[in-house]
Amino acid sequence: MALKKLRIGLVCPYGWDTPGGVQNHVRDLAEYLIAKGHFVSVLAPVIDEGAIPNYVTSAGKPISIPYNGAVARVLFGPIAFARVRQWISNGKFDLLHLHEPAIPSISLLACWAAEGPLVGTFHAAAKRQKAIFAIGPILEPVIEKLTARIAVSEAARSTLTEHLETDAVVVPNGIYADRYRDGEVRAQWSGNTLGFIGRYEEPRKGLSVLLEALPIIARFAPDVRVLVAGPGDSKDVQDQIDPQLRQRFEFLGRISEKDKADFLSSVALYIAPNTGGESFGIILAEALAGGAAVVASDIPAFESLLGKGEYGALFQSENPQDLAKVVIELLREDEKRRELAQRGKIYAQRFDWDVVAEDIYSIYEMALVGSDGVTLSSENRAWNRFLGREGN
Amino acid sequence: MEQYFLGSFLAIFVLWYLSYSATRLDRLHHRVETSWANLDGLLQRRAAVALEIAKSELADPASSLLLTAAAHQARDAQMQSRSQAESGLSGALGLLLNDGHLVDGFIEKDLLRELSELTDKIRVAISLHVDAVTRTQMVRQKPVFKIFRLAGTAPLPVTYEFETDVL
Repeated sequence: MALKKLRIGLVCPYGWDTPGGVQNHVRDLAEYLIAKGHFVSVLAPVIDEGAIPNYVTSAGKPISIPYNGAVARVLFGPIAFARVRQWISNGKFDLLHLHEPAIPSISLLACWAAEGPLVGTFHAAAKRQKAIFAIGPILEPVIEKLTARIAVSEAARSTLTEHLETDAVVVPNGIYADRYRDGEVRAQWSGNTLGFIGRYEEPRKGLSVLLEALPIIARFAPDVRVLVAGPGDSKDVQDQIDPQLRQRFEFLGRISEKDKADFLSSVALYIAPNTGGESFGIILAEALAGGAAVVASDIPAFESLLGKGEYGALFQSENPQDLAKVVIELLREDEKRRELAQRGKIYAQRFDWDVVAEDIYSIYEMALVGSDGVTLSSENRAWNRFLGREGN
Repeated sequence: MEQYFLGSFLAIFVLWYLSYSATRLDRLHHRVETSWANLDGLLQRRAAVALEIAKSELADPASSLLLTAAAHQARDAQMQSRSQAESGLSGALGLLLNDGHLVDGFIEKDLLRELSELTDKIRVAISLHVDAVTRTQMVRQKPVFKIFRLAGTAPLPVTYEFETDVL
């Protein structure tokens, strides 16, 4: 990377201390840029202000609203707007990087308030929504201020073109690939094991599809076991499992990064039966980097991440028979499975932060051409100049 | 009395909206200019790298001649012939790089890496520029902008042909 050190402001629209893909992305990016010697400040809604890293500035407590089929913890309103303006004004940033600026939260407010090099990253992938078309005319001039737009996947990009008629450069989400590279194979997790990581209580994660496929798989591979890792109350889910299949399940709860690396190296197959709502599929990138052979549903995000089946096997989404077929085939043919995992592991290197952050940084450089920093847009208004009110 | 209030309120709103729209369009024009400056800079650098490749061991005399000519043309071209010149350079580089011979030597590898990095950047720069241009064209189509001539005398930005296929 270039030697020039920048002052970069990142805006995260969702509650910093709630789990989520966007938050993880912002955190990793901020830490990567800091490690490269840049000055980075993150503005985010925060619930517990005592427990945030020193590069995060709180914009206030998030509000929970239903959005896009889930509960989003966002923040807006006059007080938040004042804080956003103050943060921009105090930060003296060279560049602002706004995440999800089309969501009604502080990224949008920052985009409204700031003038100068603005980069926006769009994470969400959604089907055509009337609501967004309705507010389009209001959003348009705001989104237009972004100097450069990034979409995390082709799915996110087409959502953007559809809803706001603007194009974006695709830069994938990043992972720290080296954390997963050297996992050890643990005996208790290896054999004919199927791995699953995620909040399995959520229906869209598709654990039920795997449940339905399991009896068929068990007929061909009698010793098959399913290892489920991730937060959640396993009791409820366990009670719903057919008692005959229950013994095949092992719930590990939330696991550490080290355990995750070992988990991914140990399992025979990593299964991602998600039924939708994914924009990128960061967990698949991690699974590939960890050397697991991946079987995933053919939802658009996964299909494009897995190169249409080149780096991981696909099955028809929500079709347990097809899932069973694919799994059985791969469990039987060790050679094929190993090749698939090997291809995937090499391919996953392109999601490493070293590559991804480089791409993001080169977009920063382009956005910075011919600019002299971020200012509040109200400072440039004619009447303020007329009245002799220079900003600050 | 009341209708005066209402009238002046409306007038102020209309004025505000016009000023807001003009700012918006000005910002877009600015974006087109900076994105073009950026793209232009990258293209110049590509021509420079192409010249170095032409001088290096990578190119046989014939392709070296071709490349040198194309690179000079791209550097010196006026706006009207720019598109053709850049396409020509892309073509010449493509011919040289796609014949698949093995490359050895540090300098050559370095040159090729630089070229491929530049090409990636150019691709991104083009998409930024094209987006800015189409956006501006779209906004200028809107009635408010046409009726009040908010664009003033600024020329309508255009995209170039070479932007669809650089390497």
